Amino acid sequence: MWGHYLQSLMASLPFFFKGLGVTVQVAGLSLTIGTVCGFALGIARAGRVRAVDLALSAYLDLIRGTPFLVQLFIIFFILPEWGVHLDAFASAVLSLSVYGTAYICEIVYGALQGVGPGQKEAAAASGLTWLQQMRYVVVPQALRPILPPLVGQYVLLIKDTAVVSVIGLTDVTRVGWLTVQRIPNGILVFGLVGLMYFLICYPLVWVSNRLETRLTVEESSL
Amino acid sequence: MIRFRNVNKWFGPLHVLQAINLDVARSEVAVVCGPSGSGKSTLIRCINRLETIVSGEIHVDGVPVHDPGTDLIHLRADVGFVFQQFNLYPHMTALENVTLAPMKVRRLKAAHARQLGLDLLDKVGIHEKADAYPAQLSGGQQQRVAIARGLAMQPKIMLFDEPTSALDPEMINEVLEVMIQLARDGMTMVVVTHEMGFAREVGHKVIFMDAGQIVETAPPDEFFTRAQSERTLLFLSKILTH
Repeated sequence: MWGHYLQSLMASLPFFFKGLGVTVQVAGLSLTIGTVCGFALGIARAGRVRAVDLALSAYLDLIRGTPFLVQLFIIFFILPEWGVHLDAFASAVLSLSVYGTAYICEIVYGALQGVGPGQKEAAAASGLTWLQQMRYVVVPQALRPILPPLVGQYVLLIKDTAVVSVIGLTDVTRVGWLTVQRIPNGILVFGLVGLMYFLICYPLVWVSNRLETRLTVEESSL
Repeated sequence: MIRFRNVNKWFGPLHVLQAINLDVARSEVAVVCGPSGSGKSTLIRCINRLETIVSGEIHVDGVPVHDPGTDLIHLRADVGFVFQQFNLYPHMTALENVTLAPMKVRRLKAAHARQLGLDLLDKVGIHEKADAYPAQLSGGQQQRVAIARGLAMQPKIMLFDEPTSALDPEMINEVLEVMIQLARDGMTMVVVTHEMGFAREVGHKVIFMDAGQIVETAPPDEFFTRAQSERTLLFLSKILTH
């Protein structure tokens, strides 16, 4: 039986690679958007303007206090009732971006806080505007502590893309779902699906660990 | 050049600056001393609005610093500030530390800024360390880079907030020498320090603060020999004996 299953699975491989392509596209797009927006909002939060702070706190609490699946449903099923129609792909990218932005914003904000206040004061005292202080003095110093948790967050977000299969997007998880109905061997089928995620995520996990170790070594050598 | 009129500031319930009046003329060197917590750092930080005041008026070269509408960028470009903890940018070389503001605020071309930076590093005696990062420099060298950075905007006034307090004793002189030279060149300076040798050598007036008030203002020779108030005498006996 296994040989037969394996053979049909091999025949379905192109289907899996197509699904993997969708997963990579969804992840790539939403990570890019999430990184850009997360940095922008993290830096905005460091500006300590009360209205901005309140709005961002509300957004962060909302996103982090509700399941991602519910957020996805709201965007895919509820927005159309208000006249906003997005297809499954756009809904997936949008919800993952909104979700990822929240976590990346917190990582960026935390690292910016870690740069001592004396740095901003020195930059301010020499006449740099707030944006220049951030751009040339604070953000460059925050980048190194940002990187390890950021890459770690990427891994989490890539794995979370599996959830979007429930709204009918044919990513690699949904390919597994559809395939297992033809080839009734869950271990084999989802083993392959898992392997595909692992092959994307493991290098990132490795990079994240390396960055973390390097940072710790550098800090302790100071 | 610098004028404080009835300046008050609170940190919560703490009245850190109490009805401060102060005048510093062009090319004058004012030395501010006093016990820790007396408000001297707060006072000097108000001059370029690193701290905001609650009431009163501060004018710097005619610019109303207390006015929320004042363009801080121009004000700060005209006032150099040197911190106790140096606050050099650790991710930039000594030269880059000096040239950042001239390039970004004054829009100087890179080559021009580089020449200015090298000249200033030469002036503070560490020309050869231009490409070193702060972590590779001694405390005294770092503080001299910080002075060069403060001078890079060609300010009219230089403020020093305990510039030698974080230094090992053997490095204090190299920093003081740079400051003395600056004073002799006619820079208007306000210096928070307990280095009374510096006050004697180039100071025009010594301002003694205690508990948020200016207790005494006098020329250095008078301050050391004929201090009036008991609090000043107590303070002097402490710092001159150690």
